[in-house]
Amino acid sequence: MSAPPDSPTYTLSPLATLTPPSNSRTWQSAPHPSLPIVATACSDRSVRVYSLTSFTLLHSITGGHKRSVRSVSWKPGTQGQSVLATGSFDSSAGIWRRDERGTLEDDFTNRRIGSAEDDDQDDEADDYQFSCILDGHESEIKSLSWSPSGQYLATCSRDKSVWIWEELEDDNFETVAVLQEHDGDVKCVAWHPEEDLLVSTSYDDTVRLYREDADDWVQVSMIDGHDKTVWWAEFEGSDMSKRDFRAQRVGLDGEKLRDIEALERSGPRLATCSDDCTVRVWRRKPKERDENASSNTGIPSIIRSVAIDEDWYQEAILPQQHERAIYSVSWSHITGMIVSAGSDGKIIVYKERWRAQTPKGANGVEMHDDQGATIEDTQPLTEWVVVAELISAHDVFEINHVSWAKRADKGKRWDDEEVIVSTGDEGEARVWTLDETGVSQA
Amino acid sequence: MDIDKDNANPTILNPSDLPSRRRESTGRRRDDGGTGLFNDLIPRYNYLSDAFDDPVSPTDSDDDAREDIDEQEIYDLISTICDPEHPLSLGSLSVVNLPDIHILPPTSPLSSISTVVVEITPTITHCSLATVIGLGVRVRLEQALPPRFRVDVRIKKGTHSTDAQVNKQLGDKERVAAALENGTLMGVLRKMLATCE
Repeated sequence: MSAPPDSPTYTLSPLATLTPPSNSRTWQSAPHPSLPIVATACSDRSVRVYSLTSFTLLHSITGGHKRSVRSVSWKPGTQGQSVLATGSFDSSAGIWRRDERGTLEDDFTNRRIGSAEDDDQDDEADDYQFSCILDGHESEIKSLSWSPSGQYLATCSRDKSVWIWEELEDDNFETVAVLQEHDGDVKCVAWHPEEDLLVSTSYDDTVRLYREDADDWVQVSMIDGHDKTVWWAEFEGSDMSKRDFRAQRVGLDGEKLRDIEALERSGPRLATCSDDCTVRVWRRKPKERDENASSNTGIPSIIRSVAIDEDWYQEAILPQQHERAIYSVSWSHITGMIVSAGSDGKIIVYKERWRAQTPKGANGVEMHDDQGATIEDTQPLTEWVVVAELISAHDVFEINHVSWAKRADKGKRWDDEEVIVSTGDEGEARVWTLDETGVSQA
Repeated sequence: MDIDKDNANPTILNPSDLPSRRRESTGRRRDDGGTGLFNDLIPRYNYLSDAFDDPVSPTDSDDDAREDIDEQEIYDLISTICDPEHPLSLGSLSVVNLPDIHILPPTSPLSSISTVVVEITPTITHCSLATVIGLGVRVRLEQALPPRFRVDVRIKKGTHSTDAQVNKQLGDKERVAAALENGTLMGVLRKMLATCE
């Protein structure tokens, strides 16, 4: 890809491989929301918890699931303990807890580095304890995810359903919704960072969004843009316009400032990736204020109010670098960059920027083709460019998952530095740094 | 199994009519670059095992990326798979055919990932076992080939009433992985693959 003049380019460099690795296919690696640890979901029915400080194995969680563990998710906001949910091909989800009191973040990492000898003999109490099992799905669980508040856990399965569980008190989960909108396996579930808004992606090529309406969870939007199975979805972080390239407001013209405002009204966007080899970014149309609510006509509504429906439209198709199914996409909550990986073994990093000002109609070719049929002569003011590409990141193996995590090892160069964790078919989870390598000349 | 065969009367090829490297089979080979001409010169078994011992073998840097595993070898790996409802091989039933096997070289000199595309021809257009047969082919190749090969198994266009559906299933890595953890299905697959070597 020919980078325009002032486009910085980055290099992905190997930092570490989490050791010892599993030697069978590993599906996913979930960084802990606050501790420098990562949990991996493995086809050998185990979950491994590694340190992102020393890159070594801390815990193996075994003996729970009867088949592959496909997905793991850390409950956010837990005090004094870590809570991990695991979803398996055995169609059940497990909840695991570990007491983290006395192993606060600093102690935790120091202890691991400082006194390596007594590490291997973790007592029972030091391990992750099985706490309960969530049964209900009829076939393999493909993904699960805690809501940002920790109140809800969403699970999805080949049985075409999405379940929402609410934790009423410790280990007492109630099913609050069984959503059966999809016509095929549900591959992924993810939550909006600010609202109780859930997204699911499917083998039926669609993406669906749900929220609660008068005690009932309902579908509020359906996105029908990908041509093939949609493997993964992730929302953008909160308030990214204050952190990404938009944070630099000095010198921006009125048009760009209005564009930022509009984005802030839309809220965090959604990235999805698919077997159709594309990564797409979707954006919500901000709700008009009440003036448009013509449904307020006093007719008693048996049918749910239309007002809850949302309109998500395709904002961009990222430059197409992948040659085979893209299994995973992740949105940095620090820089706003997107990383993707998949069957072709590549890791691609994309960055958004202001589109160079050009006379109207001069460069209409690249971004908008299908959905953009309504190229309302206003092109988006921003564009996505590839800033790093790594071929054969896991040698010849497929990459099942990729995620950003806070860097926590000694080599950390600045606050908020991130690493990329990729997870492959050979069982390894690899950690990469992203370095700006300079400004490429066109 | 015997009661409800989808196709009780399949066409069966004589084993001596099946493509093999030992015969002068150049006439069958696609004329796409001439590598086929030299295949017969290469001692078959040494060649095969060499390739397996060294999965990440040097990515040939000479311009036209030469593959060290060819279509005939892929054919040999899968033609002996036993049909799930007939005591016959997929080769003799013409479910797998040499001209429907293609090896696509890496798309970039930096990559060593090649793609094997196998199109299978179910014996009749509504064969309900097409998915199982396709799965057998995919599993056989994934187990036998070095990991640098991606395996795409499809139903040959127009030979099956629900080919799009079957293709989608066969292309779904997660479904395939889950299927392999299913005891009943694995039993069927094991029987089909028992005739390989």
